[in-house]
Amino acid sequence: MPGILIRNAFVIDPLSGVKGEVMDIAIRDGKIVEEASTDAVVIDAARCLTLPGGIDSHSHVCGTKVNFGRYMSPEDMRAGRTARKGVMHVTSGYSVPTTFGNSYRYSTMGYTTILEGAMAPLEARHTHEEFTATPHQDMLANTLFDGNWSIMEAVKEKDVKRAAAVVAWTLSAVKGFAIKLTNPGGTEAWGWGGDVNSIHDQVPHFGVTPAEIIGTMIQANELLNLPHSVHLHCNNLGVPGNYQTTLETIGLVPDLNRDRQSLYLTHVQFHSYGGSTWRDICSKSEDVARAVNNTPQVVMDMGQIMFGRTTTMTADGPMEFKLYMLHHNKWSNHDVELETGSGITPVYYGRKSLVNCVMWSIGLELALLAKNPWQCLLSTDNPNGAPFVKYPEIIALLMSRRFRENERKMIDPRTEHFVPLFAIERELDWYEIAVMTRAAQAKALGITRIGKGYLAPGAEADVAIFPLKPDEIDPSVDYQQVMAGFSRTRYTIKRGRVVARDGEVVVEGANSTIWTRANVPPAYDMSSDPEFTKKFEQYYTVRMRNYPVQDIYLPRGVRIDTEASL
Amino acid sequence: MRVILKTRPREKPRIPIEAEEIIPQNFLRKNDMKVFEGNKERTLEDLFFVTIEGPAVSPDQVEVVLTGNTGMIKRVGEYMNAGRIIIEGDIGMHCGNFMSAGEIIIRGNADAWLGREMRGGRILCEGNASHYCAAGYRGEKRGMRGGIMEVKGNAGDFTAEYLSGGDVIIHGNCGDLPGVEMRGGTLVIGGECARPCGNMTGGTCMVFGKAQRVLPTFRSNGSQDMDYAGKRYRMNLFRGDVANRGKGTLMIRA
Ligand SMILES: [Zn+2]
Repeated sequence: MPGILIRNAFVIDPLSGVKGEVMDIAIRDGKIVEEASTDAVVIDAARCLTLPGGIDSHSHVCGTKVNFGRYMSPEDMRAGRTARKGVMHVTSGYSVPTTFGNSYRYSTMGYTTILEGAMAPLEARHTHEEFTATPHQDMLANTLFDGNWSIMEAVKEKDVKRAAAVVAWTLSAVKGFAIKLTNPGGTEAWGWGGDVNSIHDQVPHFGVTPAEIIGTMIQANELLNLPHSVHLHCNNLGVPGNYQTTLETIGLVPDLNRDRQSLYLTHVQFHSYGGSTWRDICSKSEDVARAVNNTPQVVMDMGQIMFGRTTTMTADGPMEFKLYMLHHNKWSNHDVELETGSGITPVYYGRKSLVNCVMWSIGLELALLAKNPWQCLLSTDNPNGAPFVKYPEIIALLMSRRFRENERKMIDPRTEHFVPLFAIERELDWYEIAVMTRAAQAKALGITRIGKGYLAPGAEADVAIFPLKPDEIDPSVDYQQVMAGFSRTRYTIKRGRVVARDGEVVVEGANSTIWTRANVPPAYDMSSDPEFTKKFEQYYTVRMRNYPVQDIYLPRGVRIDTEASL
Repeated sequence: MRVILKTRPREKPRIPIEAEEIIPQNFLRKNDMKVFEGNKERTLEDLFFVTIEGPAVSPDQVEVVLTGNTGMIKRVGEYMNAGRIIIEGDIGMHCGNFMSAGEIIIRGNADAWLGREMRGGRILCEGNASHYCAAGYRGEKRGMRGGIMEVKGNAGDFTAEYLSGGDVIIHGNCGDLPGVEMRGGTLVIGGECARPCGNMTGGTCMVFGKAQRVLPTFRSNGSQDMDYAGKRYRMNLFRGDVANRGKGTLMIRA
């Protein structure tokens, strides 16, 4: 391949300390290099905004849960239909599109890496198959441990090392990337029709609390030296007054890692509610943002909701049941043996619903009140808060107070009594947006080590060039332009190849799947642990030897090896 | 304006024709209408002898007449919003779905999915209609939302499924599960049916023939005399579907 030379790019590359300089970027053999080869294809960026490829650190695009969302929403497939064209497969769907639909839409928005927010270990094969059919992005899978029996037993025995060993075996068996805890303990309690209502409630039959599970897993994560931290969906999602639970959880987090956070809190909007019922629900974003500002060892993502229809899906089974009871819409509930569960139900977020307006405000407030953009990442928990195609609109809302004021006129007029949003003057700048959409994700996920999230020589050549000229437009006024610009790159470059251009997908794509193997001493190898193997043969519907995902499921696997400190 | 579309003889007459372009408003603007025969794109003239009589300035003045071997033509009248379509014989699946205004008259039988999710206007089928007549598409919570659907003959299973507005009148019998998931509107069944109105939450269904296997989740609400179409009937009243906290009304002739 001859390589690419991008000339006249207005580059913001936070991880390399570039805060908006016009420069050239040279690409060869899929990497950023000092100098392009003489036969390199020249792209004139014409002083357009040029960023590292976008990284979504929490999105639901692949796996059994997403696919069941597709199954149960044939009406969703009526939207977003595109015919087969050139290298593009046929696509359809809006909130739960086909895998190619997801991939192409992300690609035309400049996204080159996505972390799937929740993979049930037992069902990992399907997730990996769908990863392969999401060809324009490198994929990573958060692996669910929230209701894992062996983990809870280790927690009960206060045996952090054993918990770490179970994680190490499972991650490498299912080719997962990081530890995900979804409503820890709650999903297991749901198996008996219950839930946990605080981080100090006991999980039935196991006698452990969410606080103990979270604490143990944070320690275990660091013993294994995993690239990412524990990725937590807090307890009590969507419950009025749940900000207390969130604050208590943040209070638990020790500072154990010099390079990144020790706990990643996902979709915090859903966890920042005051009040005690749906009638008096109010924003507690100020309290939560203050706690995050004072706790540098945590990172959160917004979990912004946007108005319109979407599909909610999470491993948090009891929460989805509550949503079902609220809306009486179709609902799916699923139990995954000794591991986790899930629920799915479609929702409509309306401007006429005061509750929805408060939720909409909270997400934005979190981003505007977090002092450090490296601690608050942009997300909608796609598709729970909104399909990811709404990201450009969220960026525009964060960059323009005028846009927020215009929206204020459209929503329930009572909203302002329940939220601080309209008193906040802050408007984020290009640099902060660049941090919140790629650089901070790369750092939080710990994937800068494989060249993600920056544009210095040696990095993966994932680049997004947007039709936006930062020295000519004022985002606080021209927010429509900002929205349009972030919706459609001029060029999306993935591993040194132009993959999308002006909204058109131009190559078939071939992604890789990034997974983690923590190497543990033989004493901690669970595959030869008698108790672990016995439990497996006794309770699982599959044999232990059939459980691991074979290499053939990862045509282009990229393994990150770590040495465990056990 | 009167547009007469007479089918040309086809080598393989069982291959379906997809003809969603055949709606009155299109004949005002378009002269290059396309239809599919199987997976092959054809012009209208490839498959029909087209005769156009008289002028029209608005779609209400357009009447489209389909004659010949029309039973394999699908999606005629989809999204139609004015004018009239007359089908001299049978018609294929999905006729008149999403229509919002205007009129479709079918002299023969209609295949499945007649008038699915229609919003307004009127469909009259003088023969029988197949399954899912006046129903909703898969996954959608609201089916037919307005307008009138009248079938002189019988209708198949799942008639008026997810009905949420408008009137559906079946003079003959219905199959299994008519009015299932109904949430509004009126369904009238002149003849027999089985398991009417499962999961209904609103609306009214009247059955003038025998209703087989009425679901146990309907609460009896006495009986009353009722006038319908100039005659007086004694009707047993039911409320339900209780299993879905429903407040619908089911009336069955005593
Ligand atoms: Zn999520």
